[in-house]
Amino acid sequence: MSGADRGRLFLENAAKAAAGTHSVSDTGDLLAALGRVVAIDSPVYCPGVTPIERAAAALFPNRVSDYAAATVTVEEVFGAIAETGTLVCSSEGGRAVQAGLLPAHHVAIVRRDRIFDTLDDLFAAVAAAPPTNITLVTGPSRTADIELTLAIGVHGPEKLDIIVS
Amino acid sequence: MSPEQTSLAFRENSVRALQDPALRAAMKQATDTFGTKRADAFAPVRDLEALRDRASAIRDDVLANLPMYVDRFVASATRAGATIHRAKDAATAREIIRKILADRGARRIVKGKSMVSEEVDLNSHLEAAGMEVVETDLGEYIIQMEGETPSHIIVPAIHKNRRQVGRLFADRLGVPYSDDPQVLTKIARKAMREKFLSADAGVSGVNFAAADTGSLVLLTNEGNGRMVTTVPPLHVAILSIEKMLPSLTDLPAFLRLLPRSATGQTMTSYVSVITGTRKAGDATGAKELHIVLLDNGRTEILAGESRDILKCIRCGACMNVCPVYRTVGGHAYGWTYPGPMGIVLTTLLTGMKKSHPLVDASTICGACVEVCPVRVPLVDLILGLRRRKVRDRFNDPRERRGMEAFGKAAASPALFALGQRLAGAFWPVVRALGGKDVAGRMPAPAKTPLRRRLP
Repeated sequence: MSGADRGRLFLENAAKAAAGTHSVSDTGDLLAALGRVVAIDSPVYCPGVTPIERAAAALFPNRVSDYAAATVTVEEVFGAIAETGTLVCSSEGGRAVQAGLLPAHHVAIVRRDRIFDTLDDLFAAVAAAPPTNITLVTGPSRTADIELTLAIGVHGPEKLDIIVS
Repeated sequence: MSPEQTSLAFRENSVRALQDPALRAAMKQATDTFGTKRADAFAPVRDLEALRDRASAIRDDVLANLPMYVDRFVASATRAGATIHRAKDAATAREIIRKILADRGARRIVKGKSMVSEEVDLNSHLEAAGMEVVETDLGEYIIQMEGETPSHIIVPAIHKNRRQVGRLFADRLGVPYSDDPQVLTKIARKAMREKFLSADAGVSGVNFAAADTGSLVLLTNEGNGRMVTTVPPLHVAILSIEKMLPSLTDLPAFLRLLPRSATGQTMTSYVSVITGTRKAGDATGAKELHIVLLDNGRTEILAGESRDILKCIRCGACMNVCPVYRTVGGHAYGWTYPGPMGIVLTTLLTGMKKSHPLVDASTICGACVEVCPVRVPLVDLILGLRRRKVRDRFNDPRERRGMEAFGKAAASPALFALGQRLAGAFWPVVRALGGKDVAGRMPAPAKTPLRRRLP
């Protein structure tokens, strides 16, 4: 699969799982996309560690250091899986995986070259020495515990936006 | 749940369930929806049968080498920073967990959905020790509030409708009545968020464990599994020994099968892979991780003729298609695990004396075998238990005497012919005494038996 096909398939499958999907080609595009999905003055948690995060963080004047107090988390995640439209979050490099869980809105940025074709490809890459926590995220938090009727946003985010960069 | 002396009242419970129209309607709606969603989810999967074969073969290998995989898991999880406790039975497991929590002064416990914790009746034990235990899966939260037990292993409150949940929340939480699942979900989110942030410890179950890395794998849609395992500083996981997989590279087959079989989703919203405790430089992970490895009779099951039940990955597909479960619901079975897998596991875990009425709770139609993603031969297992039930003389004595008499007669042509003549002669008497109930249900004996009509 070519990189472009992989990115398209990933976003297509992520959209099926009720994630908002965006594809950008440069930093200007990325900031424009962020401006569309996040109200600029929201209390935003953005680790500001990777180059992409540093660029993104500059956009938000009201950044908070405690993700439990944020309404939005904007972060770059470890990778993604095209087969299932899944984000891969990892604790590697001191990342707080739960930062994408507590706020009501999770905005995840994935680099195009970090998308795996299949679940098998991901686990082949990490199975020998897994970090403390790997979390696969497919769509927003959901339940069907009442009459099997879908309800969104139980304990995790009610809104998930994915930006492939 | 603690095994009691008396046997499970499946028949009596079923009669009651049949007279409950709200339950019947909820079960029909839910199991029909499950059927459609499951079929839709599997429709685009190419080579489904090969995928099932692969998953089944992995589970066979795990069972064939279980002690080795368990030892390997213990060693690797310990290396990753977890503390392992081995519990031979339910009482030991409860007490180990209580002690871990009590020794660290934990009072407020948040709990992820775990059928194994139901099996060992953990909550009441912790509550008796003065701890507050909050179930955080929405379905579990509902039934905990109602003082009930789960009636389905995936959707614990499947037997309740939205109006019942709305009234329950209005009564107990003092919120305005609503029967909108989205509104009710938001109410639960708010109530439980506070519990998560102030919890001293999280207690969870485990879906799969990878032996070679000591990793725990948890699947939840709501995110409560993630909360319970990452927000509190202390995480206690209860893991029954058969949930091993050799390696994380074996996991994809199960991630493709379990969500589709369980809820008709392509993928569960959240899959957590937890390997040990928070290490230097980490910002994720419990500071202390205790894994309670539960046997509770499984080593014995492994050595017996019903061992294939330990392949089960708890998707619940077998109950959703079972004509008996669909009609009477999960509570009628009377113990933790309902449906076809529940008949087998309950009987093996609690003994024939307690569970023999369950062994009859199947029509042997085979629908469960058709949907089982890991090819557990449920019909063969149930038939095996029925043979054991007869062998151990737990069947009705009248049935037993009748079958013994028939066996003798069928082995002797003279005795059989005598029986046929007697049946013909006494038929008017039987009909007169039994009335319509007998005459309407039982065919009259033939005037000339088939045997004598054949050349």
